[in-house]
Amino acid sequence: METLLSKLLPISVFNEIYKVANLNLLTEIRFRTGRCVYYAEAGKYKRLDGCVATKDDVAHILGAATKSSLYAYNKRLADGYITYDGGIRIGVSGEGVMKNGELSTLKNITSVCIRVPRFVQIKDSKIDELVKKFDNTLIISKPGYGKTTLLRYMIKTLSDREYNVLVLDERGELGGVVEGESLLDLGACTDIAVGVPKITSYSSQVRSMRPDIIATDEIFGEKETQCILDCIRCGVKVIATLHSDELIKVKRSPIYSRLLNDFRYVVTIIGIGNIDRVIDLRGNYV
Amino acid sequence: MFKLAISGVLCFICAYLGIVGKNYYDKRCAYLKDFMNFTSSLRNGISYSQDRLPQIGRNFIASGNVKRGFYSNLSAYLEIADSGGGTREQIEKCFDSKYLSKADKVVIKDFFFELGKYDYDTQMSKLEFTCAQMKKTVEKAEKESKTTGNLLAKLGLILGIAIMIILA
Repeated sequence: METLLSKLLPISVFNEIYKVANLNLLTEIRFRTGRCVYYAEAGKYKRLDGCVATKDDVAHILGAATKSSLYAYNKRLADGYITYDGGIRIGVSGEGVMKNGELSTLKNITSVCIRVPRFVQIKDSKIDELVKKFDNTLIISKPGYGKTTLLRYMIKTLSDREYNVLVLDERGELGGVVEGESLLDLGACTDIAVGVPKITSYSSQVRSMRPDIIATDEIFGEKETQCILDCIRCGVKVIATLHSDELIKVKRSPIYSRLLNDFRYVVTIIGIGNIDRVIDLRGNYV
Repeated sequence: MFKLAISGVLCFICAYLGIVGKNYYDKRCAYLKDFMNFTSSLRNGISYSQDRLPQIGRNFIASGNVKRGFYSNLSAYLEIADSGGGTREQIEKCFDSKYLSKADKVVIKDFFFELGKYDYDTQMSKLEFTCAQMKKTVEKAEKESKTTGNLLAKLGLILGIAIMIILA
């Protein structure tokens, strides 16, 4: 990961981060042109004193992430992110370019948010219990609270218990796959579908890979919700994450509340590796 | 005898300088043609398969139709592009060919510095513009190579012979 970051970041910023930050805990680096660079260690933001992000810094990061081929990332930019090697996700924001009434891409990018994937060993009896009697599980929290980190941990734990886990890793973020090799250990019985649109994967991969469990990050929209419900109907267990700070808000959502009929457990998180509650929707708290 | 030897040497030097002059025009023309072909190759690579820049560059080099001058400059640039693009100075250094005029250098260096930094539509329109611009430049360079280049070679030889006759 250190090598990847050294290639991705402007050398002056990398040197500074290398000096002051604990790279093993580094989860995020933020660049806003004309403003100080921030980084996060285990979710806690710190200012990188003396490092002001410039347009050139942003251009360097985008150049490194796209191998000097920004033109090939129109759609990704319109979606708001680029995936770099090792599952590093680079969120971008800038000026929208519209084409035929739709957002075609972004230009004049001013902000970059680099999210560094980590495998974190989560020591929590509630999660251990959940893994033992595993059933469809929905992990909810605000962005940046560690949903993906917990999902990764659960994938590995379930996989090591010899469940066939199929990871739908559309953005290449969960497994940190570089040239077909996963940088993050997701367990012995894990299959990773990288870069395949999730909607396609639900039907094709379920048939071809015969998973016991499907793991997917950040459910979004009605189509995906329906696909997940279809998988559950087929008898495949699902572990998924969803952006929401409270279960009540999920219940109020006309789209996502449908998930709660078929999911058994809901995990709420209050920080990286910090589990708030595991709610058994058919009973009480775990 | 001594005079003859001196005049022979001078004749050789003049002819050589003439050939060097012609060579400059020929090499410049070949370099610009390679650059123009590369822009066409980029246009195809980007519009049809949206390949990454280093990939398009390597395919172009592997095609074997590139002369040594542009080949080595492009290879050096591709290494920089592979690592995500360097500073303006690094890129400019790659294309410091002695066969190019100042104006050629400005066009080529700017082109490579900006390459890959734009979205698809902007990149394509910039490529179209450079292709059209290079077509004219190559035509002009070919003409110069045929006229000025050949003239220099002939002049060198004639001047050398003239010196020989005068000294003899």
